[in-house]
Amino acid sequence: MNEEKEKTGEKSATFCADKVGFRYGLRGEWLLRGFSCSLPKGEIMAVLGPNGCGKTTLLKLLLGILKPVEGSIRRGGHLGYVPQVSASAFDHRVLDMVVMGRAASVGFFSIPEAEDYRRAENALARLGIRDLAERGYARLSGGQRQLVLIARALVSKPCGLVLDEPTSALDFKNQDLILSALRQLADEGLSVVMTTHAPHHALHVASRVLVMENGARHFCGPPEEIVTTEQLRRLYDLELKTLRFEHRGRFLNSVVPIFS
Amino acid sequence: MRAKIFVLWAAAILACDAAFAEPILVTDQYGRKTELQKPAERIVTVPIPAASMTIALDEGPSRLAGINPSAKQALKEGILSKFFPKALDLNSDIVMGEGFSPNVETLLNLNPDVVFQWGDRGSDIVKPIEAARLPVILLKYGTQEDLETWIGMFGVVLGKSERADKILAWHREERAALDKAVSAIPREKRPKILYLYRYGDGIKIGGKGSYFDYFIKMSGGVNPAEDAPSEGQINEEQLLAWDPDIILLNGFQSSLSPDDIYANKNFTGVEAVKNRHVYKMPLGGYRWDPPNQESPLMWKWLAMLAHPDTFNWNLRADIARAYSFLYSQTPTDEDIDGILRMSMNAAAANYGRFARASN
Amino acid sequence: MRRRFFLAAFVLMCMAGALSAGRYVVPFKNVCGILASLLAPIEPWWTDIQYRVVVLIRLPRVLGAALSGAALAMSGAALQSVLKNPLVSPQIIGVSSGAAFGGVLAILFFENAFATMGCAYLGGILALFLVWCLCNGARGASPLGLVLAGIVINAFFTALISLIEYVADPYNKLPAIVVWLMGSFASASWDKLRYSAPPLLTAAALLYFLRFRIGVLSLGSEEARALGIDIQRTQWLVLGLVALVASATVAMAGVVGWIGLVVPHFTRIFVGDDYKRLIPLSCLLGTLYTVLIDTLARTLIEVEIPMGILSALVGTPLFAFLTYRLMKGEEGR
Repeated sequence: MNEEKEKTGEKSATFCADKVGFRYGLRGEWLLRGFSCSLPKGEIMAVLGPNGCGKTTLLKLLLGILKPVEGSIRRGGHLGYVPQVSASAFDHRVLDMVVMGRAASVGFFSIPEAEDYRRAENALARLGIRDLAERGYARLSGGQRQLVLIARALVSKPCGLVLDEPTSALDFKNQDLILSALRQLADEGLSVVMTTHAPHHALHVASRVLVMENGARHFCGPPEEIVTTEQLRRLYDLELKTLRFEHRGRFLNSVVPIFS
Repeated sequence: MRAKIFVLWAAAILACDAAFAEPILVTDQYGRKTELQKPAERIVTVPIPAASMTIALDEGPSRLAGINPSAKQALKEGILSKFFPKALDLNSDIVMGEGFSPNVETLLNLNPDVVFQWGDRGSDIVKPIEAARLPVILLKYGTQEDLETWIGMFGVVLGKSERADKILAWHREERAALDKAVSAIPREKRPKILYLYRYGDGIKIGGKGSYFDYFIKMSGGVNPAEDAPSEGQINEEQLLAWDPDIILLNGFQSSLSPDDIYANKNFTGVEAVKNRHVYKMPLGGYRWDPPNQESPLMWKWLAMLAHPDTFNWNLRADIARAYSFLYSQTPTDEDIDGILRMSMNAAAANYGRFARASN
Repeated sequence: MRRRFFLAAFVLMCMAGALSAGRYVVPFKNVCGILASLLAPIEPWWTDIQYRVVVLIRLPRVLGAALSGAALAMSGAALQSVLKNPLVSPQIIGVSSGAAFGGVLAILFFENAFATMGCAYLGGILALFLVWCLCNGARGASPLGLVLAGIVINAFFTALISLIEYVADPYNKLPAIVVWLMGSFASASWDKLRYSAPPLLTAAALLYFLRFRIGVLSLGSEEARALGIDIQRTQWLVLGLVALVASATVAMAGVVGWIGLVVPHFTRIFVGDDYKRLIPLSCLLGTLYTVLIDTLARTLIEVEIPMGILSALVGTPLFAFLTYRLMKGEEGR
């Protein structure tokens, strides 16, 4: 077992999970057991794993929407949640959408104040999409929507972001847009936890990778140790090849599945 | 000679036999023909007024096998349950719920010779009776002509055509006399009479083509709602705009009384309210509002209220005479007070003339 | 903001116009005088009947229609957001039919307008409680679960209403039930307004102040929860307010359908899904629409035209036209 043991209680950690176990109900299968892991500030952690292994459950545990059945999770501050881009039944203005990130600090019977709108504009500016503020959310491209959702998570002044498959619905150009934005945020000191089905995204941006397997097993460590041909083959139960090549002075990693 | 006598005798026998066995042919108001071997002995009436109509033509309820539950309610509220207490034991399980949908199994159990049913409320309430092979006679609701057709038809079915003719003659006589008297009244002297078919949550009136419109005009009144749909719903403001001289309250809503109108402060300016000309419709052998066997009494009642100076009959005596003919019964003074709703109408103007002679 | 102010002024003017329209002729200057006399002592130059018509008959009716229209439209807009479904209306969560059942039951057993109102409130609350039970109580349910529970409860109470109609005495009770179910402001009075206005005003005000929460809930319960708000509390509060509005309206005027569904959609055509403008504008347009329809219902001909018929006849062509234009616009983009 390649379990990474970190010292718990590290002050700069975004979150710190200690022997966390979780299952739904009293007789459900354990989705997670003995999970200990922490993430220092300013780092990006990618979570890999096949469908149904409990990635989304892990995110909910980190956010505090679900409570661990065993063990404990301590957070270094508030974590902002960025859901997957989906079709919305209603078409809100982008600025209104972003300001909803302040919901928790707006009184029950009040509406956001000027200060909240200023923060929302700043969050948009931080991601370079201030010009979208007045547009309708439903009329944006997938990449733009994802950026808006990230901006919404930013207005609550989080110490880290939790993203559910931020790139899965996007084309290459938009994948690049989002990954760059995440890297920029990490450079500014924000921690990021994201789930993904693309190992090369993990290799591209993550400083840590968490691999979850069916049956509540998991491994955590630096990408080059964890995202190996062997591991991935086992994880996805598919033949695949990792490529490493040079492009204009940069070394790039990619993973190519060998489809039957 | 002997042969001649024999032939005559045989002819007489045959004639008698033929007369006796000749089937009765009834054509109903929808042109449908029904054949009865002899006058009906067991009758089921689904339409509500048909029950008291049968009682009037047959001088009692003995040939009724089943009636509408609402008809039973009317009998109970009215005078006929006192005259014929057995009427309250009649089977009223003949419809499902409280409408006119026949309960065919009950009908088959009652084994009627004929079933009366409404013909103007869709075929869904007729078909099941026909499917059970029971003879059905369809009735049409509405006008005085329809009423007269009913009386004739019930006479035929019951084998009491002579009696039916007498009732019809009475109706026609009273109508002709009233028409003649009313035609002499100039239009500007005719009061505006508004009939309230419902009052409560929403107000409904008797409008165009209704029997209410017919009797208002026949009794020498003007119907301000004559152009409105037959049982249309109006608002209070429309009533104010019409400003009727007389308001008639329907007999269907048993607890509705003139006091309900007087208590509505929105109506204080209305002529009928100012002059206490709000009257509750009487309830005799049947409610007096829809066409029924007692209708001539109602025309006279209304004419006396509309033109107190012109018409001055002894209505109580008329009621007593009509009842002894229709039901072979003599109503007491208390009975007549009840029929005319003397207590509900006690405060109304001009109503004292219907009170018992004080002696 | 200024445009909204002008619209509000326009709505008030329309209400004043509605007060001068009716079957009983009252000259416009007399209506103005009568209204002014309510605020300041003026020597009357109008007749007593004119005063009664305007103050006792028309004013409560116009106010009742305005309040119900405003509250129903706001409830519809709120409900559509909270259930994340633009096709729902206050009727779909079963509250209207629950209230209608209560009212019909009261007509059957009592003959008192206030018993009818009280039972309508009880019926509406009972319907919401049943929906709540079906949704597993405080543990809550998805918007889909809520809509399904609402449909079930709605069907249940509709069946009970039919049952009562079936057994009701056709002369004494049935006509009253039918008239009442058809929905009309014809019997509005100050007395009825006294018992309906406070709940309607309270619910409308709370829905207005909740507009941001309602907007957040329109994102869906998962997202809303991740944004850190207590969605169960907001959701049931909004449902409770909608139930209050539906019951109060049913108590005053019977079942007035259509407004809660259509007016928010009219409004969306003008302002999109912007929660800040949707709920206030729904309020204004709901008032305008209901007052207009009710005025037509009571003035066009001698008899009252049922609200539902007029509302559909006036509303559908307008709605169809706006939808057509909207779709054409979308095609062009």
